[in-house]
Amino acid sequence: MKDDRVRYFAENMDRLSRRDRVFLNNPVIMQGLGLAPIVIPANSVMSAAVLAMGVLLLLTPTRIIATLIGQHVGFKMRAVVYALTAGVVFIAVAYIMESLFGTQLLSVGIYLPLLVMEPLIVKRFENPQKERIVTSFKKGILTTIGFCLVLFIMAALREVLALGTLGGIEIFRGPLLPMASMPAGGFILLGVVAAIWRAAVNAFKKNVSLGVKKLP
Amino acid sequence: MTLVLQNLGTFVVYALIAVFVQNAVFTRGFGVSRLTKLVTDSATDSLIFCALLTLIQILSAPMGYYLNQWLSAPEHWYRDYIGPLGYVLCALVAYGLVLLVIFLLPLANKRELMAVLPLATLSCAVLGPMLITSSQHYTFAQTIGFAVGSGLGYGLAVIMLSEGQRKMNNRKVPATFKGLPINLIYIGILALAIFGLTGHMVSY
Repeated sequence: MKDDRVRYFAENMDRLSRRDRVFLNNPVIMQGLGLAPIVIPANSVMSAAVLAMGVLLLLTPTRIIATLIGQHVGFKMRAVVYALTAGVVFIAVAYIMESLFGTQLLSVGIYLPLLVMEPLIVKRFENPQKERIVTSFKKGILTTIGFCLVLFIMAALREVLALGTLGGIEIFRGPLLPMASMPAGGFILLGVVAAIWRAAVNAFKKNVSLGVKKLP
Repeated sequence: MTLVLQNLGTFVVYALIAVFVQNAVFTRGFGVSRLTKLVTDSATDSLIFCALLTLIQILSAPMGYYLNQWLSAPEHWYRDYIGPLGYVLCALVAYGLVLLVIFLLPLANKRELMAVLPLATLSCAVLGPMLITSSQHYTFAQTIGFAVGSGLGYGLAVIMLSEGQRKMNNRKVPATFKGLPINLIYIGILALAIFGLTGHMVSY
């Protein structure tokens, strides 16, 4: 790693560890959010695409509208505001999703409407600090990217292992690990992916701290 | 009398199905994000959380059933769009009722209960069973049985995961697997055991 990059990461590591929603503080791997859609219905790239579009359309608008309304209500009412906002935004999301995907929505079943109460979407209500609209927009987009990254990695892995295909294109003849398409396989695979991801994050942080010591 | 016994039997069977065959956590993954936090968070009492979750489910299930009956009419073509909002409203009405009871009763741990209640209400473990019972057109007895069983099933998952914590905190577990990864693998193994017991995957 170059010296100026090492210095930048070393100086901002705490801030990056809190704010980065893609690698260092991924919502799924580090915070354990959005686990249900990843371990149950995301067993093919197509299902992942449906779920990703659902989260993309639901998360940021819900967060922004709930932040706007939340500025005028007390902290104790924040849970109600977030839940109702997600429910109302879902009406538009369901309509758009139906026109985009049609019968393919059946591949995710109840896990699309379930996003309304998914902690990934509504967990912000637990934080007593008020949020600015710009911050909620930025965090909403970054959280969506972080979630979708893990969603597609997991869906691709599960599809390859369970069916031997990727996006419907045959890669292996026959399944390598049929269990990968089951909930049990989803949980175990996500556990392994989370461990590897966390090891990579630790290795990155260690690399930065070692690089700082070598700086002139 | 026969009708009462028949409905009671249905209630018990569907409660058992929801606890074991279609466990909220092990076969459906409902509320698993909260569960992994709950077992490692010493500030929140798991039993209180499960009791409140079950209470919210029991109270919101009948409302969800009647809402589904109303939405099932052929003229309500927008059912799939407004259904989730309706079920969220049912859960929030149940939340209000439980909050009122907590407020009125002379309880020593009022503050703790009021802090945990929103977490127990805004959970996939509440909305999920309502979506299942509505999409599979359960009867009233089946709906209530499934709601009770889902709450108990979630409690069972919490107990099993809490009991496993001692083993998962063992120093033989590699450092990178500690926390969320090992919890997920453990839940996966338990899910596999449930699959071995039932022998089939549930549809969603």
